[in-house]
Amino acid sequence: MDFAWTESEQAYRAELVSLLEQQLPPDWWDAYAYDGPAGPELMVHARRFNAELAQRNLVVRHWPRAYGGQEASAWSQIILSEEMWSNGEPRSSLYLGANWAGPAIMKFGTEAQKQRYLRPIADGKLLWCQGFSEPEAGTDLANMKTRAEPDADGYVINGSKVWTSYASRADIMFLLARVGGSGKGGVSCFILPVNSPGMEVRPIPAIHSPHDFNEVFFTDVRVPADALLGEPGKGWDIVTTILHYERIGAARYEFSRRTLDRVVAHLKQRGLFDDPTVQAELATALAATEAARLLTYVVIDGRAKERPPGPDTYVARYAMVQADHAVANIASTYLSDLLTEQGDGMLRSHFTSAITAGIAAGAAEVQLNMISGRYLGLPRGA
Amino acid sequence: MDLELTSDQRAIHDAIVQMVSNHMDVPRSGATLKPVEYCYADQLDRDLAEGEFFSLALTEGCGALEAALLVYETGRSPLVLETAGAAFIGPLLTGRDLPRPVAVARLEDLTRAVRFLDRARTLIVDLGDDVAVLSTDGLAVEPIHSMFAYPLGRLMTLPDFTAAERLGAAAVPRLRRLWRVGLALETAAALQAAVDFTTAYVKDRLVFGRPVGSYQAVQHRLSADIQRVRAVYWLALKAAWSGGDQDAALAALYAQQAITPINYDTHQFNGALGMTLEHTLHFWTFRLRLLQGEMGGARTQAAATVAATWAGA
Repeated sequence: MDFAWTESEQAYRAELVSLLEQQLPPDWWDAYAYDGPAGPELMVHARRFNAELAQRNLVVRHWPRAYGGQEASAWSQIILSEEMWSNGEPRSSLYLGANWAGPAIMKFGTEAQKQRYLRPIADGKLLWCQGFSEPEAGTDLANMKTRAEPDADGYVINGSKVWTSYASRADIMFLLARVGGSGKGGVSCFILPVNSPGMEVRPIPAIHSPHDFNEVFFTDVRVPADALLGEPGKGWDIVTTILHYERIGAARYEFSRRTLDRVVAHLKQRGLFDDPTVQAELATALAATEAARLLTYVVIDGRAKERPPGPDTYVARYAMVQADHAVANIASTYLSDLLTEQGDGMLRSHFTSAITAGIAAGAAEVQLNMISGRYLGLPRGA
Repeated sequence: MDLELTSDQRAIHDAIVQMVSNHMDVPRSGATLKPVEYCYADQLDRDLAEGEFFSLALTEGCGALEAALLVYETGRSPLVLETAGAAFIGPLLTGRDLPRPVAVARLEDLTRAVRFLDRARTLIVDLGDDVAVLSTDGLAVEPIHSMFAYPLGRLMTLPDFTAAERLGAAAVPRLRRLWRVGLALETAAALQAAVDFTTAYVKDRLVFGRPVGSYQAVQHRLSADIQRVRAVYWLALKAAWSGGDQDAALAALYAQQAITPINYDTHQFNGALGMTLEHTLHFWTFRLRLLQGEMGGARTQAAATVAATWAGA
């Protein structure tokens, strides 16, 4: 057992840190990243930033060489995520492609689909969004109703998605639509351009951001047959694979950890740091971030050893949510003025991200359901 | 990074688990447990000693992590055995095996209640500005009876520390670091055992015609509890591995804070049966209640965490 990073992993992190120092402008938090990775300024900047990442082969180092990677271990992915997410995720939604859409295509896609999508991800050219949730199917994803009807040329999609991050500025969508059947049985995965005729994206202003959420409407959106990933009606296996990657794909604990340092700096400036009550809260939040880190590392360790994903993922995700909230609560308790538009962009970005953590990637209560069934083996309810 | 045990560590771990599994039986009267405060694992102690497991920390090719495995695995038994002081804190603090059991205490607690003191052959004391290591021979120790499932004792009078072995001021942070890791390991073990025991119980116990564990109100709390338990385990092992002040403080803090919700939940889910001495649960949960306040409790660990993290920031 060894908790140390290897020399090559340390060098990789150093390379990322150096790149971030070079590429992120001095007013990064306040002018770009304050609104999270779906903010308009950040998404524009991400196009340039991702090109720089790709030029240095840093986008998908953990992928096979055949698809633009360098066959680095799964640890390199979490190092990348730690450095990016804690800096406001300057890749924007490229990370969706690198973290789970790409691996899903690798596992379930045709050779033509691999050729079409994987290299552009490695080249940092595709900003993704995920068309999963619907008005009646958020946590209960298998209840989704958007349909893809087969026709002579492929499929015709009708329905709507909601709370879709990045959709207004993304290039491409990973869509769940129903082909046949109900429940999990009919779920199918499609990949299609966001500007496909018949798709309409409407922003939904939200308390945490004016730019994150969108509604996406599909009116007779025609896609070719090869927009389907895997077999029709058999997309649930793909979804469960994706969700394992997505749940811990963003290294939220690292952002919380670094935000805590910023919180401490502000508390010291205000003369609040020496208060024992404040210190107890800081220590508790720090313990939560480090707990989430180690529980995430347990999952990554399994991935590095090519073990199938297991229930440790849900445990790690739940811990991440707790850590995010622990840090955000300190910020809102003692530094609420810095969470305003005139405040500190980093604290604001972390806070708005944290308050959605328990809902995104499956509600925290769903994680508890999964832990209950798959980790503890408790019997299902009536 | 590699979070799997090496083959050598796995062999040591498996050998310990095998030995512990041979000594899980608590005294019974027919089908039910005898109503006892605690059961000391004397035979397990002898078996582990024969295999030289108490010396793992100082054995060539082994170290703190291997000793940590011993503390953790023995702590999962309903029988109680002193390993944190004898196998982890003592050897790593002094560089030698000490006569065991080893009791570890702060000066101010010596005349109150100290875990293992009524059986201890060595006493390590945090004097605040120094560390004393002394034999318990000749000390006036009064056994203390309690519900806390540990052997406890207190000194009737404070000894003459000037005559004791003194390790110097530099040993104080070292002792506290090791003590915190030992505390986290013991806590992790008891928490895991309590949750495992409760999980098994709620799968079988029916209420309103359904297993207790089929109710979401129960499932969510046990699921949150197992997240806490696994976090304590990994924080403790990392702290044993790194030997760092921050890791040790974080592990002890998270461990002591996890005790309140898990103790509450496990007892709630075991119902009135969990309060009886014929049920095994209390052997872990009441140990946990004592561990919760050790070294000053979470308040002290929080202060240590902040000092180790942001003192110079």
